[in-house]
Amino acid sequence: MVDKSGRRSFIKGLGAAGITALAMPVMAQTNTESAANIKWDKTADVVIIGSGFAALAASIKAKQLGATDVEIFEKMPYFGGNSAINGGLFAAPNTPLQAKEGVKDSIDTMVADQLKSGRGIADEPLLRHIASHAAEALQMTIDAGAEYHPYLQQLGGHSVARTYQTTVSCGAGITQPLLKYSQKLGVKTNNRAKFIGFVQDDNGKVIGVKLLTGHHFEDPNSGKVTYVKANKGVLMATGGFAQNIKLRMAQDPTLTNEVGCTNIPGTTGEAMLEMFRLGATPVHLAHIQSGPWASPDEGGFGYVSNYSIFNFPHSIAVNLQTGRRFMNEIADRKTRADAELRCRDEAGKPQPPIMITSYEDAMEHPTCKKVLKYKVGWKFDSIADIAKHYGIPAAELQKQVDEYNQYVRTGEDKQFGKAMAMAHGKELRAPFTVVRLWPKVHYCQGGVQINTNAEVVDSLTGQPIPGLYAAGEVAGGIHGVSRLGSCSIPECLVMGMTAANTLMNA
Amino acid sequence: MNKLTLVLAIMLSGSLAFSAQARDQRDYHEMVYDSGCKTCHDQGIKNMPSDQACSQCHDIDELAVTTARQGDEEWQNPHNNLHYGKEVPCTECHGEHTPKQVLCSNCHTFEYPKHK
Repeated sequence: MVDKSGRRSFIKGLGAAGITALAMPVMAQTNTESAANIKWDKTADVVIIGSGFAALAASIKAKQLGATDVEIFEKMPYFGGNSAINGGLFAAPNTPLQAKEGVKDSIDTMVADQLKSGRGIADEPLLRHIASHAAEALQMTIDAGAEYHPYLQQLGGHSVARTYQTTVSCGAGITQPLLKYSQKLGVKTNNRAKFIGFVQDDNGKVIGVKLLTGHHFEDPNSGKVTYVKANKGVLMATGGFAQNIKLRMAQDPTLTNEVGCTNIPGTTGEAMLEMFRLGATPVHLAHIQSGPWASPDEGGFGYVSNYSIFNFPHSIAVNLQTGRRFMNEIADRKTRADAELRCRDEAGKPQPPIMITSYEDAMEHPTCKKVLKYKVGWKFDSIADIAKHYGIPAAELQKQVDEYNQYVRTGEDKQFGKAMAMAHGKELRAPFTVVRLWPKVHYCQGGVQINTNAEVVDSLTGQPIPGLYAAGEVAGGIHGVSRLGSCSIPECLVMGMTAANTLMNA
Repeated sequence: MNKLTLVLAIMLSGSLAFSAQARDQRDYHEMVYDSGCKTCHDQGIKNMPSDQACSQCHDIDELAVTTARQGDEEWQNPHNNLHYGKEVPCTECHGEHTPKQVLCSNCHTFEYPKHK
């Protein structure tokens, strides 16, 4: 992204010297500048770009490790990034709730589950590092004031129940306490401050950033050019690029503007692109994940996503054409999203499948009330009513429900091999609740390559780029082809804390 | 040069005054208009007001009490909401000269019948 207005005022400010510097080819192509002529507007120990899980965890850890000035710069008008509007689901092995519920788990088991879903291209050392520190990160959020439901959930692709969820069923149940705690520790949080480029010293070390302060998201070039010096390092925690339709279609042409998205409008990826221009290694950019639990009846993540995630283990997903199940409802996200996208009418038009759940079981989670209240899910008295309402072959649907209930009783899903432990004793029975399903673009597995110190790896040398760190969704390659649900929050928090550790000890 | 600048300034202020008049105004803000555009446009007339501009007259804590919701709607209070607490800048949901959608409508179907 080239910021024309900023560039012009920069030239005016510097006169001939600035113009000479800009004439260098590297300067014309990137927004990165050499330190020589910079007049710093501000100096901090640690500069953090973004304000989601990774950024907040890093800011807190940096303060705890003795950083004097920690500054968070967020381009949006509000803090929290995408971390503030997701399901608040947090996977960790060997936790107090697992001990309470008698779930046998280990770091190895969690890593093995993730490697399987990563389909051979996930980054095992990073997954192991994150799984090893996930319980510690969970405790950090609890210490900051986050509260969790008193039970675990088993999400798609996980071999055991290991997922905590905030009591508000949203990531904001973590970002809000972390933001307040961070501010209490003295971290300075700046909104409407858009990162547009790095400043490097003569040795290529990243020593600061160029921002547009007073930025309004609607106007990409708005704001005042501001230079901030970072004494210890710059952490990029800027999230994914799911809302950048051009960029996501360049990776995967099927992700057109007709495909919904669960993200805030700000996940457009320009900070990641600037890291590539600086020399960061691009990894797995084409692996963009759609959430199979989303609904076409509401925007973004909405309410149905959480509802489906909770209910999939004891529900069936049904193709309207056939009245039959078409997937293992707790397979990994990619498997399910691909299966849903194949649900089409004779003309090939999308025909969102439905999920059928026993009302009594659905009401075990608070989102069920919301789903019904805001008319993004509906209650039915019988299977016949459901069949009639959605135009499903009634006899087929009834047969499917009877078959499935047999699997619930025997504990073996003969159709799709779904793990039935969480469905135990939960036969489908009237009344029912129904939601419609259609995938939405949710998460970018790709980004810049990092190592287990959260250092960004240079594409030519294979060595860390000095002074530059990345954590969270902007870091790529960790999860491989398909990230398992509830594995992003531990990744963001652990890698944010790791970045702070590395940076403060550099 | 100076003269040109002056002429430009006059033209500019004239056109701005015209455009402000042509835009929506809210009756209950009449007093503010009487005090001049800079009352709100504290970063220059061409720029959006700062995030602090509205708080010259409005208090977020009081607003949060006024729009408080009960029971399972507790966190749908637009002035103290689940995702951002009390920290959403006013102009994300309110437009003085042009109508705006509430921020929540990106994902939710909540109704705020009194929203302006």
